[in-house]
Amino acid sequence: MKRLTLALLPLLALSACKPTAQEIKIGVSAPTTGSISATGQSAKNAIALVQDEINAGGGVKVGDKQVKVRFILEDDEDKPESAATVFQKLINQDKVLAIVGSYTSKCSNAGAPIAEASGIPVVSPWSTNPNVTKGRKFIFRACFIDPFQGRVVAQFATSKLKAKTGAVLYDVASDYNKGIAEVFRDEFTKMGGKIVGFETYNTKDTDFSGQLTKIKGSNPDVLFLPNYFNEVPLQIQQARKLGLTAVMLGGDGWDNPELVKLGGKVMDGTYFSNHYSPDIDNPIAKGFIAKYKSRFGLVPDAAAALTYDSANLILKAVATAGKADSKAIRDALAATVGFQGVTGNITYGGSGDPVKGAVVIKVEDGKFVFDSAVNP
Amino acid sequence: MDTIIQQLFNAAQLGAVYALIALGYSMVYGIIRLINFAHGDIFMLGGFIGLLLTTRFGWMPFFLLLPLAMLLTALVGVTIERVAYRRLRNAQRMSVVITTLGVGIFLENFVRLTVGPETRQIPARLPSAKVVWLQQHLGAFVTWDKLLIILISLALMAILWLVVNRTLIGTAMRAVADNKDAVPLMGVNLNLVIAVTFAIGSALAAAGGIFYGQAYSIDPYMGIDLGWKAFIAAVIGGIGSIEGAVLGSFLLAGVEVITVAYLSSNLKNGIAFGLLILLLLVWPWGIMGKPTLKKV
Repeated sequence: MKRLTLALLPLLALSACKPTAQEIKIGVSAPTTGSISATGQSAKNAIALVQDEINAGGGVKVGDKQVKVRFILEDDEDKPESAATVFQKLINQDKVLAIVGSYTSKCSNAGAPIAEASGIPVVSPWSTNPNVTKGRKFIFRACFIDPFQGRVVAQFATSKLKAKTGAVLYDVASDYNKGIAEVFRDEFTKMGGKIVGFETYNTKDTDFSGQLTKIKGSNPDVLFLPNYFNEVPLQIQQARKLGLTAVMLGGDGWDNPELVKLGGKVMDGTYFSNHYSPDIDNPIAKGFIAKYKSRFGLVPDAAAALTYDSANLILKAVATAGKADSKAIRDALAATVGFQGVTGNITYGGSGDPVKGAVVIKVEDGKFVFDSAVNP
Repeated sequence: MDTIIQQLFNAAQLGAVYALIALGYSMVYGIIRLINFAHGDIFMLGGFIGLLLTTRFGWMPFFLLLPLAMLLTALVGVTIERVAYRRLRNAQRMSVVITTLGVGIFLENFVRLTVGPETRQIPARLPSAKVVWLQQHLGAFVTWDKLLIILISLALMAILWLVVNRTLIGTAMRAVADNKDAVPLMGVNLNLVIAVTFAIGSALAAAGGIFYGQAYSIDPYMGIDLGWKAFIAAVIGGIGSIEGAVLGSFLLAGVEVITVAYLSSNLKNGIAFGLLILLLLVWPWGIMGKPTLKKV
């Protein structure tokens, strides 16, 4: 025991008297395995792109010198309990200055309190549930929030599709799905529509035929499925096989190439709200899409674009703060005005939620096609 | 009104898959008093073998694909019994149960690493047009694949019933279930009987996996939840009883679907399992189970 302590002493001394950081460490918590591993993969790609871009220019400018940036990516498996562990590891073990993540709202809600308590700023790229940032000073996000998204879809359904009746099928065990489903129900009703079915299931359920048959009985014009891309195609497929003819609508949880890979033709003619569209006319987006395509051979989805924006938001805040200090980075983040990202301009007006627009995307012949843009 | 019949078809399809899994649990338990917790993962593996065959051999018609996948999965089942369970046959009960859990975890991770964690669907090999007759006469919108899945499952169960009750090996299986220690003295090869039981159970689970992958979807972890459901169905019906496993499965699926249809999808599992607990209070050995007295 004594030998061990002695052996550890120089190490302790070393870490105690390290005055200047040779690199800036930023944590990333993303679901690289598990049911939505495709989203984690997008995150991983976008992070690799940001890291190489910034370090190719010598790193981020902190005060008067350039410091290299290292992103430490950990897998949270899209499980809240794993996200909590990942946040703890990144903060306590890796001593990161800030965190990008997590992705689904349920994971961010598990990780955020830990970061908040430790005073580590977090930018979540993809968590749209309002509670993620509510009452927290250190938690930010790069995406819009569910009330806005629910309103966008409800408005699209009533004004563009002229829908009179609507139904919802959602995962009741997931914060994101539940939040957006409830907002859609309220907004759709407010806009003069009638909700004729409001059905639930639990994460990992694969048989939706009972709920869908019940919905079919009320014959709605639109069916809103605010669920993730790994389930939606199966829900639509089962719905069609049960004779449901409603127009299918969704939210940004649909946005992944897997959606069409899994669903094929059954996805054609469906719509979903999203953070950005690859067809968008924005020079920053165009540059990002070209780089991403040439390196990974894929069109980036919104999770990739938002990850890119989140990481750059943090890097910009580090440069603005001028020092490698979490509190200063948090203050710089909160003061962000007009940050130009791939997914639009980001300004934080006193909360961690940015003010930004949404797009509606139509699935046509297996491709995501820009349909319309909606601004708050 | 027309949706009631449609809901019954939904329940029948789900119940058929539960039954194909539950039979394996029940048969193995009936013969060697072992609850094989890896069985749900055998079901998952069967689904993935079906996926592999349909994607690699696109030309293969369904009536060839199904038996081939069942055969391959049966081989896996027999191998697992030979490698992992046989030498523990006389060990403490707990050691074997833990081993079955270990085998299950191995299978899940093996598939996750080799195929990937994504949700997949087995490309449709059954016609998905609607059954016009059912819509005209009963007002129910049912597709052919759903009807065929129910009918083929029932046919497989009928074949099983014939094998167990009308063949020599079936007689041997029933004899082993009756008294495992006395049967070898009568010149019956116990190892063979047990291997055949695992083969049949795994083959049925594979059929369930393939149907599930066509009707719903498959992923490496699906065996956990569905395995539990099927296990519970087997217990409800009376574990060890073939008829009981089938009955329990259709009952469980029926209660689930009816809860969703007429009460609330929120309460599905709560009400379904609440009812089942009540049922077990009335019939502690399951509906068709035989009360066994413990010898002291």
